[in-house]
Amino acid sequence: MVWTVVEYLNYEPWRFLVSFAAVLFLVLNIAGIFTMAERKASAYIQLRYGPNRVGPRGLLQPAADVLKLFSKENLSPNRADLWIFLAAPIAMFIPAAAVWLVMPFAPGAVIVDLNIAILFFVAITSIGALGVIMAGYGSRSAFSLLGALRGAAQMISYEVPLILSLLGVIMLAGSLSLVDVVNAQSGGFWHWYFLPLLPMFVVFYVAGLAEVKRVPFDLPEGESEIVGGYMVEYSGMTWAMIQASEFAMMGLMAAMNVTLFLGGWQPPLDFLDLGAFNWIWFGLKTALLTFTFQWIRWSVPRLRMDQLMDLGWKILVPACLVWLFVVAGAMLVLQGS
Amino acid sequence: MLSEERRIESAALSGRAAGRLANPDVRDEFGLETLDMSMGPQHPAMHGLLRLILELDGETVVRCDTVMGYLHRSKEKISENRMYPAVIPITDRIDYMNNIAMEYGYVLAVEKLLDAEIPPRADAIRALMNEFGRIMSHIPSIGFLMLELGAFTPILYAFRERERIQNIFEAVTGARMMFHYIRIGGVKADLPEGIPEQMWNYIEGLEQRLQPDFVDLIEGNEIFIARTRGIGKMTQEKAVEMGLTGVPLRCTGAEFDVRKHYPYGWYKNLDFDVITDTEGDVEASYRVRIGEVKQSIRMIKQILEDLPEGEVMADLGRRIRPAEGDGIGRVESARGEYAVHVVSDGSDTPYRVHYRTPCTVNMQLLQEIVPGHYLPDIMPIMGLIDPVSGAWDK
Repeated sequence: MVWTVVEYLNYEPWRFLVSFAAVLFLVLNIAGIFTMAERKASAYIQLRYGPNRVGPRGLLQPAADVLKLFSKENLSPNRADLWIFLAAPIAMFIPAAAVWLVMPFAPGAVIVDLNIAILFFVAITSIGALGVIMAGYGSRSAFSLLGALRGAAQMISYEVPLILSLLGVIMLAGSLSLVDVVNAQSGGFWHWYFLPLLPMFVVFYVAGLAEVKRVPFDLPEGESEIVGGYMVEYSGMTWAMIQASEFAMMGLMAAMNVTLFLGGWQPPLDFLDLGAFNWIWFGLKTALLTFTFQWIRWSVPRLRMDQLMDLGWKILVPACLVWLFVVAGAMLVLQGS
Repeated sequence: MLSEERRIESAALSGRAAGRLANPDVRDEFGLETLDMSMGPQHPAMHGLLRLILELDGETVVRCDTVMGYLHRSKEKISENRMYPAVIPITDRIDYMNNIAMEYGYVLAVEKLLDAEIPPRADAIRALMNEFGRIMSHIPSIGFLMLELGAFTPILYAFRERERIQNIFEAVTGARMMFHYIRIGGVKADLPEGIPEQMWNYIEGLEQRLQPDFVDLIEGNEIFIARTRGIGKMTQEKAVEMGLTGVPLRCTGAEFDVRKHYPYGWYKNLDFDVITDTEGDVEASYRVRIGEVKQSIRMIKQILEDLPEGEVMADLGRRIRPAEGDGIGRVESARGEYAVHVVSDGSDTPYRVHYRTPCTVNMQLLQEIVPGHYLPDIMPIMGLIDPVSGAWDK
């Protein structure tokens, strides 16, 4: 029996392995690319040049960084709970990588078309909070512990507006599958969900920022007060794992935002359809959103814990709830007529 | 076994707050205890080497003890063993953000001892450089305040300004930080050719950049307002009681400025306002700093427009041997009133030199107003005081 490459790849165990490798490759590269983008973006915002020595225009800087981090010793505090301490980066990295499995990159290009992909996203990303708590608890440092407690409080609180904003998308698309959500937004940018669900788009964006612990919600890190928070004791590759998972989470939030509210791989106008190359649209939109994350990162100061909670519970959640009723009412009226 | 005294001492050193030592099993009604935390001396937001022993109830600070002395370099003792002119480089290293005012205070004290007559051009240049020094210190302070609030970018904008002033200083004094420019009897050298024009151009440029690059970006930010309004609030009585000077005092509404009320040097001839604010919080201190930068610009323009001609160094003889007695030099440094007390025994080295740096005194604020605030509020309060490690430890 002669198998073609496609048949070979469609054989389930192989498909699983290959797609797992592909996702890992993607996530690690995203981390590298985003580090580079972040450095360059911050440099231009701050009247600097940024890395420009390693490789052409400094493009190989992430590779040099990884090389350096590999050669560094993995230090752990004397009284650290070593199992928890070492497992924490993994517990952070796996969820950041796993959600990419259900992400539709282009028409037909999705590794697993789960019919509950949105639930999968919600469930898996909340594991990330566990990693933060493990890191802070395992390091046995007051700074880490404070960072971890802040992280836990923040990530759990902001999951509420995040999920509430997802409800609007689910109602409009009538499906929990991300492929269906993207397909439902076809036919030009005025069909994308960010227009009818504008408040929810904003809430998802803000809550997403908080979920990935970026400025102005980087309280768990708080480098000027608790000097890195839960990751203060990490060094070398364990630290790199945490960083990679943070960047992967950032990319994931941007990609999720694009998929749910900005039409995924759908081109903005119909005649711009690139067929199988529609992943370019997906990539462009994700890159744009990621850039706005970085733009915010280097422009604004950090909120305080009580202000953060106020924003989450007193503004984002009510805004979501109100708009949920508006959308539901509008759907009832429009479908009834 | 350690003696009880030794045990308390070592426990205090290891970061245990004394309240816990007196009663180690303090728990509240939920069975929760407070967390002791030692912040610093190696901490990015501690303006150098300061250690805070904190007792935290959740994120709220219950107790805040300051431990100073990690950068003690015995400036006062070294000063006793050097000849009068050789002390100036030492004063440079006290407040390394505003060196020129540190030199100025010491030189004023020695000149009072000598009863020396200073050429007017030297006086004007001193005031000119002193005001540049103030801008060079105030603008990075605003940047540091933002850095401590979590915004990284303003500090680089601030250092762009500092860098340009440093270029001017380099042209005038030959050094970028440790100037050794103000000498007993005048200044080291006259302004080089073309430098007054360069200063004028820079000041004009800064006046234009100040609004868009600092004021609009910072004051227009809601998070900045939320983080600083009402934080570190103190009354004017409290500030006076603690002996605060400089921006922390003026932001409570008290109008005190050595330049205005005890004028020295060229400041008698200058027209400027003392900037005050009524709020007494971090936001007010930021506004006072911006206002003072504007006043400094105004003063520099006045000096440059009306720079007297003549010598820049008085002839005080080769060896400086003041008669017995003491002299006090008071200047307004960027952080508050800086006073130097020099006692002479008639020899060519000072008998005793005391530096009254504003940072040491202003630092009391931490113990007084931090308790009750949240942990992240310590950083903006540090920005309000804006201490420099070298200056509080000496």
